[in-house]
Amino acid sequence: MRECVRFAPMIGARVGELTPGEAKALAAHLAECKGCRATLAAFEATDGLVAESLLARANSRDFGPFVDEVMARVSGGREASPAARGGILAWLGGHRRAAAAALAPLVAALAVLVYVRVGTGPREIALLEIDAEGEAVTVLQTVDGPVVLLSPGAGS
Amino acid sequence: MEADDLSLVSRARAGDSDAFRALVVRYQRKVYALALGIVKDPDLAWDVAQEAFVRVHGSLRGFEGKAAFSTWLFRIATHLAIDSVRRERTSRKDDVDEVNEAHVAEAGEGILSTPLGNDPRENALRRELAGKIQEALETLPEKHRTILVLREVEGLSYEELAERLGIHKGTVMSRLFHARKKMQAALREYAGDLVPAREGEDQGSAGGGEEVEP
Repeated sequence: MRECVRFAPMIGARVGELTPGEAKALAAHLAECKGCRATLAAFEATDGLVAESLLARANSRDFGPFVDEVMARVSGGREASPAARGGILAWLGGHRRAAAAALAPLVAALAVLVYVRVGTGPREIALLEIDAEGEAVTVLQTVDGPVVLLSPGAGS
Repeated sequence: MEADDLSLVSRARAGDSDAFRALVVRYQRKVYALALGIVKDPDLAWDVAQEAFVRVHGSLRGFEGKAAFSTWLFRIATHLAIDSVRRERTSRKDDVDEVNEAHVAEAGEGILSTPLGNDPRENALRRELAGKIQEALETLPEKHRTILVLREVEGLSYEELAERLGIHKGTVMSRLFHARKKMQAALREYAGDLVPAREGEDQGSAGGGEEVEP
C-alpha cells in the first residue's frame, strides 16, 4: 500500500509527463498491483468525459447575442448608440410633460441671451472722425442719432 | 480559408473590429465551457467568458505572441473564473492535496472500469454517463473542478497546469488524482444503476471487462 500511495498520483499521466525513471517504476508497479491497474482503467474509462459534457452544454446554448454583447463592450458602447438614441426619443415621446418641464429653463435662458444681445447691439457707439474745411469734427453714432462733437477751437 | 489567430490578432490590434469578432466567434464556446466547468452557474460562466474577451481586447497591444492566443485567452478566463468562485467560496477541509492510503483504497473500489469496458470511447454507457458528468463535476471542490476542467477541456500537461495554477508539479499530480477519484465516486452510483441492465445484455459474451479488486 505504501508503494500505491507513491504511484497513485502518477496514474493517468500522459506520455512524456513522467521522467523515464518514474515511468519505468510505475510500469513495474502496475504489473504487480491489481488495485492500481483498476484505478488506471477507471481513469482511462472516464477520460475526456468532462470535456465532452461541457462542450455539449456550450453547443446547446444560443450564442447569438454573445459576440454582439462583447463587441458592444469593447467598442465603448458605440455599437449600441443607435439603440440608445432610440431609447431617449422613445422616453421623450412618452414623457412630454417632464420633457417640457426639463426644457423650459433652457429655453428661457436662451431667450434672455438673445434679447440681451439684440438689445445691446444698437447702443454701441460708432466713432467717426471727419475733416470739414480744415476743421476736425468727431461724430458719435448713437441710438438717438448722430452727435457731432466739435473740437475746442471749432466754435470760436 | 480561415485566417489564423495571429493574423486576426494583428488586424484586431490595428483596429479591425471584424477580426476581433472572428476571434470571439472562434473561441466563445470553448471559453464558456471552461468557465462553466469552474463556476458551475451558466449565467456566471457567460459573464466570465465575456469578461475574458473584453480583457483580452484591452490588452491586445501587450500580446507578444510568445504563447498561442488561445493559451493567453484561456489563462485569463481561468483566472477570472477562479476569482469569481473564490469570492463566494467557503474553505472546506476536504480540499487536501496529499494522497494517503485511505485515498488509494477508495480509488480502487467499485469504480467505473468494468461497466465502461475496454473501449470507452465507443461505449454506449459512456455516452449515457456524459449526461451526468456536469452533476458529478458540481459536487467537486473548486480546485478539483478547476484542475480537471483545465486538464480535459484545455488539455494542459502537468507542467502547464503547474504554471497556470501556480503550484508544484507534484501538487498537480496529487490534486488531479483526488479530482478524478471524486469524479469516480460521484459517478459510481449512477453507473451502478446502469450496470445490471448492461450485464444482462452482455450475458453469454466472453470478456465482461477487467475485474475490480474489492
